[in-house]
Amino acid sequence: MMRVLAIAALLLGAVPSAALANEGGGGLISLDKSLVIQAINFGLLLFILIKLLYKPLLAKMNERTEAIRSSLEEAKAARAEAERERADHAAKLQASLAEAQSIRATALKDAAEEQRRLVDAARAEAARLVEAARSEMAQDVRRARQELRQEVADLATSVAERLIRKSLRDEDHRRIVDDAINRVERVN
Amino acid sequence: MRAHEGTARRYAKALFELAHASGEAEAIGRELEQLAAVLAENGGAHAVLTRPWIKPVDRRGVATAIAQKIGARKLVQDFVGLVAERGRANHLPEIIAAYRAMVDADLGRARAQVRTAVAFTDAEKQKLSARLEQALGKRIILEEQVDASLLGGFIAQVGSLILDGSLDGQLARMRQRLARG
Repeated sequence: MMRVLAIAALLLGAVPSAALANEGGGGLISLDKSLVIQAINFGLLLFILIKLLYKPLLAKMNERTEAIRSSLEEAKAARAEAERERADHAAKLQASLAEAQSIRATALKDAAEEQRRLVDAARAEAARLVEAARSEMAQDVRRARQELRQEVADLATSVAERLIRKSLRDEDHRRIVDDAINRVERVN
Repeated sequence: MRAHEGTARRYAKALFELAHASGEAEAIGRELEQLAAVLAENGGAHAVLTRPWIKPVDRRGVATAIAQKIGARKLVQDFVGLVAERGRANHLPEIIAAYRAMVDADLGRARAQVRTAVAFTDAEKQKLSARLEQALGKRIILEEQVDASLLGGFIAQVGSLILDGSLDGQLARMRQRLARG
């Protein structure tokens, strides 16, 4: 509005100066009938300008202002939506990360537990195998010793029997019988 | 086997009671042993007495005839006849052994079955009998059997008592000690 009044003032100043220039001297504004015409001219011009220029321009400006405001609000809403979605995504991401951490921790714990169980089982099995092998070995050694003793005993008595049978004479028989008779003791 | 022995003991006991009553227990025992020896020598007679398809009456007749032939007294004849008739002739060795044990027990004596590597001299027999009598407190009848499989010495058995005075026994004990370590 202020802009329009300024333009009108300029036009008001310009028109008398132009009239004075045409008359070849004098003031800027002639105080005669032309002043009225000029005023009417001016008012007419002002009216036309307001009607044809200022109002459409103002409406256009308002429309643009409204469009810009609307765009700004939309942008603001979009930004808020984007912000909300971002926050939402961030929260989801955080939750996913937390869940992933939890799953990882559980998996690590389970794996550690399983590993410990397997190691314990392997140790127990190894100990059992060692003990069984030791026991079997000891048994084999005992059996071998017993067999060896038995063989030695059989061999020794067999050799002794052969030697005795070969070397025993009648007087030896008599002496053995006599010794055996002398060994008979009271029963009960 | 135990049923066999039980049957033999019942027959032996019946005979012993009759024989003891008549005071001829020992003589009857000798006749029974004589009869057993004849049957052991004469396989045919033994076969007739033990065959189940031969009539009991015939078996009795054969057994009585054999007893008569060796001059056994009437009680022995009747006894072996009864045993054969009842199909128990194959039990005769056990019956005789049981009868002998009863007679021995009645007379307070025991039999020592002695297996020896070489035959005993009379002096050895007497000495062993004396030692056994002293040890067991009974009169001992020595029944010697030479066993060439023995290395030396003897093994005497009196009832359930076994006295091992043989080199074989000593060697066996030595083998056990060596094997035991």
